Amino acid sequence: MGNFVYDLFYNTDVLLKAWTTSAHASWAARGAPIVVLDILFQLLAAVAVALFLVLNALFIIWFERKISALMHMRRGPNRVGPFGLRQTLADTIKLLIKEDIIPDTADKSVFRAAPFVVLAATIMLFVVLPFGKGMTAADLNVGLLYFLAVSSLSVIGILAGGWASNNKYSLMGGMRSAAQIVSYEVPAVLSLLSVALLAGSLKMGDIVHAQPVFGYAVLQPVGFLLFLIASNAEINRGPFDLPESDSELVSGFLTEYSAMRFAFFFLAEYTNLFLAGAFGATLFLGGWRGPFLPPFVWFLIKSYILVFVLIWIRWSFPRLRVDHLMKFSWKVLLPIALLNLLVTAFLVKII
Amino acid sequence: MTSIEAQDAFRARFPDAALQPPDAALRASVAPETLHGHLQYLHDQLHFDYMVFVTAVDWPEQSRLEVVYRLFSYESKSAVVLRVMLPRDLAKVASVADIYRTAEWHERETAEMFGIEFVGHPDPRKILLPDEIDGHPLRKDFSHPNMVPLPEVE
Amino acid sequence: MENVRPAPESYSDEFVLNIGPQHPATHGVLRVVVTMDGEVVKDAVPHIGYVHRGLEKLFENRNYEQIMPYTDRTDYLSAIANNFAYVLAVESLMGQEVPEKAQYIRVIAAELNRIASHLLWLAAYGLDMGAFTPFLYAFRDREEIVSMLEDASGGRLTMNYFRIGGFMYDLPKGFFPKLRKFIARFGKSIDQLDTLLVENAIFVARTKGVGCIDRERAISFGMTGCCLRASNSACDIRRDIPYSIYPKLDFDIPTRLAGDTWDRSWVHIEEMRQSLRILQQAMDGFPEGEYRAKVPKVIKPPAGEVYSCVEGPRGEVGFFLVSDGTSKPYRIKMRKPSFSNFSALAEILRGLKIADMIAIMGSLDLVVPEMDR
Repeated sequence: MGNFVYDLFYNTDVLLKAWTTSAHASWAARGAPIVVLDILFQLLAAVAVALFLVLNALFIIWFERKISALMHMRRGPNRVGPFGLRQTLADTIKLLIKEDIIPDTADKSVFRAAPFVVLAATIMLFVVLPFGKGMTAADLNVGLLYFLAVSSLSVIGILAGGWASNNKYSLMGGMRSAAQIVSYEVPAVLSLLSVALLAGSLKMGDIVHAQPVFGYAVLQPVGFLLFLIASNAEINRGPFDLPESDSELVSGFLTEYSAMRFAFFFLAEYTNLFLAGAFGATLFLGGWRGPFLPPFVWFLIKSYILVFVLIWIRWSFPRLRVDHLMKFSWKVLLPIALLNLLVTAFLVKII
Repeated sequence: MTSIEAQDAFRARFPDAALQPPDAALRASVAPETLHGHLQYLHDQLHFDYMVFVTAVDWPEQSRLEVVYRLFSYESKSAVVLRVMLPRDLAKVASVADIYRTAEWHERETAEMFGIEFVGHPDPRKILLPDEIDGHPLRKDFSHPNMVPLPEVE
Repeated sequence: MENVRPAPESYSDEFVLNIGPQHPATHGVLRVVVTMDGEVVKDAVPHIGYVHRGLEKLFENRNYEQIMPYTDRTDYLSAIANNFAYVLAVESLMGQEVPEKAQYIRVIAAELNRIASHLLWLAAYGLDMGAFTPFLYAFRDREEIVSMLEDASGGRLTMNYFRIGGFMYDLPKGFFPKLRKFIARFGKSIDQLDTLLVENAIFVARTKGVGCIDRERAISFGMTGCCLRASNSACDIRRDIPYSIYPKLDFDIPTRLAGDTWDRSWVHIEEMRQSLRILQQAMDGFPEGEYRAKVPKVIKPPAGEVYSCVEGPRGEVGFFLVSDGTSKPYRIKMRKPSFSNFSALAEILRGLKIADMIAIMGSLDLVVPEMDR
């Protein structure tokens, strides 16, 4: 029994493998179609990811509110539930029961679709995220490429939301966001290219294994910093939250969204925050590797360290102006990223 | 230019300028037609670069509107006041918004509150009042159905 | 409502954006109709008057004592400055002497109010720029000031503190210990807020060189206060037309040369430091004496007119008072700094980006009820 518990935490992949193999065997012995079993397992994985997503969103929103409150010498939510932990749940319920207002002049189908596109792009990223040793929903051979490609899909949703709202403010917000995300993709890609060079593979699992003890952050400090800044801009947060700058454009592309649709954008944003932290931890901090504690716990700790840093940055700085944002990406980050890649490639060749 | 020099120059231009205590500003009355020329002189020659305000006072028993221009010079640290008396039923005076940019808004407010026309003003719209209002509120004979007399207090 | 200048048909990229009257970043209820070409502003037409309460007409039906609370509410963030200007106007017309102790209390209250107003300016400005934290740090300090003033006057925002001839009551017992503690602590807070917002690289990038106005145009537009001092003009009513005990006090007039948004912000921060100096001197030199002079039961200034002004946190606050010898004023005109400061907006904004508009409007430190009266 003790062995089982130990295995549950530290050798989850072995357990899962054993279970799926035995299920396969028993299924095949009875002559049932394996394909149904495979689909069932996929569904199970999807449900697990969805559960994690929801619980994580509940936690991370509370986390941000508490941390920002402490930075402001306030308390943060502390009434609803112990330490205010049920606050997010209460807010979600509130959002769900609100009236869903769709502007008359809005493009209804696009308006309805936009939040789902953004959320879909976010959820799809969980596929390649290594939660622990061998615990990736699908450890694709081109995991890194998949990550970069899918993370850009959210632009479509934001642009759609901004345009379909039929509102000058939303349109401007949507366009700004598109420009921002596209611009900051480039330094992000280049910094991750260096990581791929060092690891020699695009597979997430390989990258985690190839890292030294403290992760690539030690070998690639510049790349790490670049990735942190670029992903901060990608998730429309912190000093780069122009698209939803609530003091300049009301809420930017979110202006016309209410109730559940707003909740979806909100959910997507905070899940993106977690994913930025999680991928940063996986690619630069050594992912789930670490002594003593189970891999899943290390993964969460490292992800949340980066999430904390991103929250810290958000609450410390004012917002960047749109042209500064663009200038910073193209004139500062891009040359540094290229240089970083060059140096890495050179060093990889000679070492 | 010191304060004394500015005051002397002002008195030279306006012989009937007088102090009216407790205010430390020399004040002079000018005719409406000459106002623009006088203000141009004060701005260019005597360096009264800052127009503090433009406003009006309604004197119904004299049937006159008095437009008050207060100027201050940062160079000589002295203030002067020019007054123009206009007939109540036909209150027209030249706009000085081309000399002092601040007069653009001050004149708009005075115009709508008192019914004075500032000839040559670049943008004579109402500024504080809604478009629907009739009449000129700061005139003494203005009344509106919403105006309710205050209860008497000892 | 009012005529909005339509965009010319030939420019297909131009569009008209209406900012306000309901908008999180305008400091009050005002409306700016901006004609834009992409992100660049071609023209900005401000519309005010949404908070016009007809105060000047109202005053013609009130006694001089009854007018005092109204003056607070024109600019509620610098209520003391408004009280001060009004009280100086009435007292100079009446020839009323004010005891020295009351003068000192007036200056202490005025400078505390100045610091409180600048702290709120910083807080709101940070919020506009997306920096949420300075808001709470500034309000922590503002809370101290406001509670001191509450002890003295009974009000936190609209204090209705001054009376013609002095004050209703003396300073409460715990006032000076609190003030001493505040002065000792606040210098570090200013540095902290300075580092957090005004010296922050992103803030500097957003505000340096943005929204410049040179000295001639600033004076022509009637700008006063921090906006003018940032444009290379060491003009401060406390020095130029001294009132109360300011001739006895030693303080500097912070000035900057470029007249851009960052300079205006810097001047605000420096003014807080200078106000701290004034407070220290006022506290050290605080005399004994009466807190209110003998004033007639019914305030009836002799017929005449007077204009008196003070240096409020936003600029020159002045009261033009015409009296006809009765207990109600014949005409009061309030000269408010935000009215003139805001009129320069279109001039400053032409050719800049829409994001700069928020930065510039924040640095002008506008309070809309003061504009509209």
